Amino acid sequence: MVKKRLPDWLNSPMWSSPTVTTSPPPKSRSLSPPPPPPSSSNDDRYGIGSYPSKSSSVTSSDSSLNEPHVPLPPPTSIKQEPTPKTRIRDSSTRSVNSDNDVSSSIEDVSRQAQLLEEIINIGELRQLCLLGIPDAAGIRSTVWKLLLAYLPTDKGLWSSELAKKRAQYKQFKENLLMNPTSFSMILNVSVASQSEITRTFEVSASLKNGDLSEGKGLLERSKIPHGEHPLSLGKTSIWNQFFQDSEIIEQIDRDVKRTHPDIPFFSGDSASSKANQESLKNILIIFAKLNPGIRYVQGMNELLAPLFYVFRNDPNEDSLVNAEADTFFCFVELISGFRDNFCQQLDNSIVGIRSTISRLSQLLKQHDEELWRHLEVNPQFYAFRWITLLLTQEFNFSDSLHIWDALLSDPEGPQETLLRVCCAMLILVRRRLLAGDFTANLKLLQSYPSTNVSQLLYLSNKLRSC
Amino acid sequence: MVLVLAIGDLHIPHRAPDLPAKFKSMLVPGKIQHIICTGNLCIKEVHDYLKSLCPSLHITRGEYDEDARYPETKTLTIGQFKLGLCHGHQVVPWGDLDSLAMLQRQLDVDILVSGHTHQFKAYKHEAGVVINPGSATGAYSSITYDVNPSFVLMDIDGLRVVVYVYELIDGEVKVDKIDFKKTSTATI
Repeated sequence: MVKKRLPDWLNSPMWSSPTVTTSPPPKSRSLSPPPPPPSSSNDDRYGIGSYPSKSSSVTSSDSSLNEPHVPLPPPTSIKQEPTPKTRIRDSSTRSVNSDNDVSSSIEDVSRQAQLLEEIINIGELRQLCLLGIPDAAGIRSTVWKLLLAYLPTDKGLWSSELAKKRAQYKQFKENLLMNPTSFSMILNVSVASQSEITRTFEVSASLKNGDLSEGKGLLERSKIPHGEHPLSLGKTSIWNQFFQDSEIIEQIDRDVKRTHPDIPFFSGDSASSKANQESLKNILIIFAKLNPGIRYVQGMNELLAPLFYVFRNDPNEDSLVNAEADTFFCFVELISGFRDNFCQQLDNSIVGIRSTISRLSQLLKQHDEELWRHLEVNPQFYAFRWITLLLTQEFNFSDSLHIWDALLSDPEGPQETLLRVCCAMLILVRRRLLAGDFTANLKLLQSYPSTNVSQLLYLSNKLRSC
Repeated sequence: MVLVLAIGDLHIPHRAPDLPAKFKSMLVPGKIQHIICTGNLCIKEVHDYLKSLCPSLHITRGEYDEDARYPETKTLTIGQFKLGLCHGHQVVPWGDLDSLAMLQRQLDVDILVSGHTHQFKAYKHEAGVVINPGSATGAYSSITYDVNPSFVLMDIDGLRVVVYVYELIDGEVKVDKIDFKKTSTATI
């Protein structure tokens, strides 16, 4: 379907004014009577008791949905619940979107309702999150965990699943982050005494060589199991692996220190930022060790940062403490979708980054041929960073969290959504691109101007199978 | 987890042309944090080679060293341990435990590393431990012709030391280890 002209809605005056209407999701929800408040953080700030009456306001706005020029939901439906609405309006101010409080609050409510249910309908949750999750609600962490399939949809299973996963992470940490010296001490004990392996040697009955303070004579020599000595060049030697890994560990260390230097959460001298950096490093090291195929590639730290930030800022105490373990598994899930981008050998193949970039090009051609023809800039110059880092470097941190909401929640999958968002980014600045030449366009695209993110998400949603 | 290489009595080029190939293949830069050398290298080229393995190099003077600027003894602190270094030809009788223990008390160190006898030894006595890394090239000594090339790698981790002894016996590298730890209350 080749378009000679832009569709009318793209040219509408809507884009020039700050108010953008976000259409409430088309599906009508049936809000069941609220169950008792769960143990997790989704507290009843929103007034659980008022849910049944909200359903009427929601369904009434459903009808006015189908055209893009959706006016704000009729004020009458909102006046029914003045008190809770004002509370919601106060608490859900999004930095970008202060005009949309009214319509977005309906979504907040329905999201809360979703999360409160015992069995969460993932499809509905995805629909709700397509245009972003409100910052103030503190539910982003839980929602992302659900979207990344870390938490099962059945709420009853949450605590057992979480306990299992966290224990697994602890195991990984113990096995993989261990120092070869301590490992060889364990070997020593098992060889010497055949008793249960312990790490504390203060009792040291097994150390036949004893302390420095007693007796004299030749020190006893003992055999080394499996040729494990520090200079060993054997492939299976833990020392050799340790030294090989130390290169990667150094690189990870350097990259973590450079992540988001402007955000105090990640950088700076405070104890908390050091602890955060330590956690980021641990996650990346364990990931590199468990995946010898892709190891660590520069840029993974950028993908990890938003995940860790969101989980670490979870109002739920339990989640906050275990943020590292949760982030690890969600990171694995996230990367698995984009694995092929990081593998250098696959660069030119059909699943590699080159072909993804050409798909973006095709998408642009499909939606906006005029721009596609005009744009001489090879998409590799700008799209590479957009795609591999999931747009974390193009927008400020809070905006990129919103974009990730959309990326993670889209049922089509993050890869497809990402291409649509990139396409939307190009279309949004089309006027400047059409007016500019190669150099100006290249400059513009490599430092993408800040823009209204919900506008962007709305547009990318529109581009879906258009 | 600090790796310290104790090596010495190479006598290059007078008594041996080079380190054994198997030793050389194991000694790669980047793994070792400190090198302590008992002496008798003897020439600058060997000094440069050791320096390339690790920038932190400590040497004491052996009687055949061409560089006269090395000190007679040296002490350094690594982690919780104090190490002393001396070539050993000054301590008479050569290789005698009691005399070396005297030197150790003089230097006030936990671990004394000395050489000259070209034989690997690891002694323990009340004041501490004496380690002789032997000769890394297997050069003949004033005492004997029958010398196996050997050197020592210490892994210092908190209050424990694991000493790995590398010896070239019949053309094969044999590695043994020795464990000891220091009690923190010992007045050493």
